[in-house]
Amino acid sequence: MTKERGYRFRRALLGALACGIIIAIPWISSKYFMMMSIRVMYFGMLTMSVTYLAGELGAVSLMQAAFFGISGYSVALLQSRYGFPFPIPPLAGLVIAVLAAGLFGLLVAKVRGIYFLMLTLVLGQLVWALANQWSAVTKGDTGITNIYAPTFFGISTETSKTAFYFFQLVFFCGAASFLAALKRSPFGLMLRGVRDSESRMAMLGFRVNLLRYAAFVFASLVAALGGVFFTYFTGLINPHSVALPANVEALLAAILGGINSLLGAVVGTVILKTLDVVLSGITDRYMLIMGVLFMLVIMFARQGIVGTLMKYWNNRLFLSRNRDPERRPSGFSKKPEVFRNP
Amino acid sequence: MFITASGLTLSFSLMRVVNLTHGAFYMAGGFIGLSVLKFSGSWLLAVLAGGVATSALAFIEERFLLRRARGNDLIETLISLSVAIIVGDLVLVIWGGYPRTISIPEALNGAVSIPLLDTIYPVYRIFTVGLALVIIGALWVFLKKTRLGVTIRAGVDNFEMVSALGINVRRLFSFVFTLSGFLAGVSGVVGGTFLMLVVGEDWRILTLTLIVIIIGGMGSLGGTIVGSLITGLIHSFSTAFIPQFSLFVLFLPVAVILSIRPRGLFGKER
Repeated sequence: MTKERGYRFRRALLGALACGIIIAIPWISSKYFMMMSIRVMYFGMLTMSVTYLAGELGAVSLMQAAFFGISGYSVALLQSRYGFPFPIPPLAGLVIAVLAAGLFGLLVAKVRGIYFLMLTLVLGQLVWALANQWSAVTKGDTGITNIYAPTFFGISTETSKTAFYFFQLVFFCGAASFLAALKRSPFGLMLRGVRDSESRMAMLGFRVNLLRYAAFVFASLVAALGGVFFTYFTGLINPHSVALPANVEALLAAILGGINSLLGAVVGTVILKTLDVVLSGITDRYMLIMGVLFMLVIMFARQGIVGTLMKYWNNRLFLSRNRDPERRPSGFSKKPEVFRNP
Repeated sequence: MFITASGLTLSFSLMRVVNLTHGAFYMAGGFIGLSVLKFSGSWLLAVLAGGVATSALAFIEERFLLRRARGNDLIETLISLSVAIIVGDLVLVIWGGYPRTISIPEALNGAVSIPLLDTIYPVYRIFTVGLALVIIGALWVFLKKTRLGVTIRAGVDNFEMVSALGINVRRLFSFVFTLSGFLAGVSGVVGGTFLMLVVGEDWRILTLTLIVIIIGGMGSLGGTIVGSLITGLIHSFSTAFIPQFSLFVLFLPVAVILSIRPRGLFGKER
């Protein structure tokens, strides 16, 4: 019993420490590091969206950046062209992205496995083509600029990056807990059932395609939220944000971190974005290095960093808790393996 | 269009590999052909060189990467995606980002008037269509009529049984994959001669090809032909009439066909 309490105490301590550090970032770290954290957060939302689909549904999507871009473009258009006041552009952007996800979802919910990947790739490319070619609205390759972040209680999040950091942090935590809650909910359980044995779930009377559809729309909503903050922070949106490399990058971050946990999505994004900054100082060949890294991760480290750490964590750090097989939490005992061999 | 799609169907239907490197091979083949043409001046040699070079790339990819993941199609696809990124970026390093065209060889340059339709049509386009027909015919004969083709199809359906008969199925698969790489390279040079060669073309070609496959259904040569006809027609018309949406319009056939037949027009249920 004392061991159990010790475990809880340690966990609570770690959690509180992490929260403290995250809240204190604007004061204890350099401005540069804070900007980096902001970037990690909005790309993190995109990655979480990919992670959620891959981990919970077992479907590798190559079009989440499309929803990231759709909401971004909506915000840009509504604000800089039509001049709508603050709460409208981001809300409308999210609604439009969800509607788009609802439309595309009708198609992608029908297909499985490798077809899912192919179809999402094609649809993502079509959205990119639209952003690139429909220059009357999207201004083609240059994209839309001059988008300003909103002002709250007299504090402009455009000029004060600290304010922007907290503004985003709230929504980032909201998105993360939304997905985490979905994972724990009955819906999440049903979804995992579909992932592991679709025919069984269908036979038990669950509407399998509806579940897949809903999961796709939920994940897209989170990606779209990331897109809103991306557009506000950078002040511009162009077709590169919806292009295939953006999608591949999100997938790479998801796999790098480990697709079985949302924490993995954040860790993967941190690593990839740090690498981006470090490499861009040295060489232009970011894509090349990304490709090689992608290949290495796929071939040798499919569990990702968090997947590997989790094993260590369970075996060593909290040995006392997990050694007893009856008390082992079921989520840890058998890791779902999406990339399993048939 | 025909040729790229047929190469992709080949690797698709025969090996059940979704080869996302195909677009990159197309582009690499085109640029290699361009360099060979500059160096030697022979267009035919350029086509061959493009084909041979990409088939070598395909062989390496199959032998050292894909073979390790055989049977797990998700991993295979992701590996091919990573190779596509690497090849795409290497092409950018070597040939730069400027658009190029390969000049049409003199023997095929010029135009003929077609008496019946009363129009003038460039010879080269007719040659391209002819070449596509020849390749499709040859593939069909090869797969359905020759002994090797029959063995390949059998190897796909039942790997263990054919292996037990004393045939090296792995080597056969390497061969098929190399062949599909060869087709991608050839189509890169042929296509690069009247379209433009530019970095980024790889993804465009790949998207178009995947649409063809999705519409036509996987693993069917007939489906590929019908699919590329539909895609090609819609794409040309939309480019002429609504250029802003020329690619996005292709969403329509995909949506319609997938909602009626999730496996594509001629796709088989697995």
